[in-house]
Amino acid sequence: MHGYEFYIDPSRCIGCQSCVKACEECETHRGKSMINFDFIERGSTTATAAYVCWHCDEPTCAMACPADAIKKGDDGIVQSSLKPRCIGCSNCVLACPFGIPKIFPELEQMMKCDMCYDRTSIGKRPLCATVCPSQALSYVRPEELARRREKPTNVFYFGKQKITTRVHMMTPPGTDTVSLDVLDYMWEEKYVAAAQPE
Amino acid sequence: MANLEPTKQRRGLVAIDGAMALIAILLIVQIWLLSAPLEAFLAGHSGPVIPAAIFSGLLFFACVTLNAFVARIDRSSKER
Amino acid sequence: MSLLHNPSKDPLWKDEFSVFTSDERYVTRRQFTKFLTLASLGMFVGNLWIVLKSYLAKKPTYPIAEVASLGEVPVRGVKLFSYPTPQDNCIMVRTAEYEYVAYSQKCTHLSCAVYYSAKNDRLECPCHQGFFSIKDGSVLQGPPPRPLPQIVLEREAGKLIATGVRVSGNG
Repeated sequence: MHGYEFYIDPSRCIGCQSCVKACEECETHRGKSMINFDFIERGSTTATAAYVCWHCDEPTCAMACPADAIKKGDDGIVQSSLKPRCIGCSNCVLACPFGIPKIFPELEQMMKCDMCYDRTSIGKRPLCATVCPSQALSYVRPEELARRREKPTNVFYFGKQKITTRVHMMTPPGTDTVSLDVLDYMWEEKYVAAAQPE
Repeated sequence: MANLEPTKQRRGLVAIDGAMALIAILLIVQIWLLSAPLEAFLAGHSGPVIPAAIFSGLLFFACVTLNAFVARIDRSSKER
Repeated sequence: MSLLHNPSKDPLWKDEFSVFTSDERYVTRRQFTKFLTLASLGMFVGNLWIVLKSYLAKKPTYPIAEVASLGEVPVRGVKLFSYPTPQDNCIMVRTAEYEYVAYSQKCTHLSCAVYYSAKNDRLECPCHQGFFSIKDGSVLQGPPPRPLPQIVLEREAGKLIATGVRVSGNG
């Protein structure tokens, strides 16, 4: 918006959680951070990654919502759930391929990142991108990325489903899409191997 | 409609608003075409009844055409 | 026909409860236009209903009622009576020694009671200055759209009797 785009580079994340703390400062959801912060494999590595909502072009969360509470506006931002409509059913939590929406059972409400709409709609940066010291989360003009070796992509494949997003992921050069098949990460091979006749 | 440029979107909305206004005007004329011959018929004069029915039918088909126009604009806006 | 079908290939529920806010605006307009077209259809059907009724209407039969006796009112005099039902007020005027006319008293504009003006020799409606001719009830001036219905009078045994209502200009 206003010529800026959001870029996420997980390889730059140093795990300082400044984004988490900065997001909590927002008045509309004070104390609750909308950043999805992952310890990737805590037992064996210090690698971390921070994600915000990817604002998909055809948002799965919105399409799965039974209360029609999630809307995508003209500017491409998928808003957080509408307070009068959300019934806290967690359908969106289950539907989102990136695992972004957070359910707050005490409020019976889902809340998620809306790219600091109160800031980005008037040309300011989202808080997380403003405070990230390594610019793992960055909100810049596309030209400024030319200096980086990684290239942005916004096409994801989850199994056979293609998802295009507003937020870009920085990937090694030559990678056009990010493909993920959940089955690849399941450990049923162990059982399949065990079930094979000797 | 989310993927159309703002100008095309605005133009589409303006066209639809115009069609809606036209239909509303035709509807007002149809109200008169219903009430005046009805009053005459109840007073015993059945002369205006048939011409009024014919013109009311013409106006109805005009409304149907405008409705199809609105639906066409709506359909073209949904092509993603 | 677009009145019944959904314009896009999505199912109707997906169209009308779209996740895109820009589409919601279109849906509201489309629904309203559809509603207006249905209202238009309703009025056309109403017109057809009137046509049907006009074809099926029976020729009305009128009772015979005594209005007055000859000589009861003077020349240029007026007598009020009810014909064919007690709710239909009528006015009878003796225009000349042997000439009597009678009309419905309900003005064809908004049903005010007309009165006979001897000075102007016409029937006048006090509400909106509508004037009717005493000869045949046609409109001389004013907002009334139709002539006054005339009561058919007949002489019988020294009495004036009303035998029917003549609505002029019947289509």
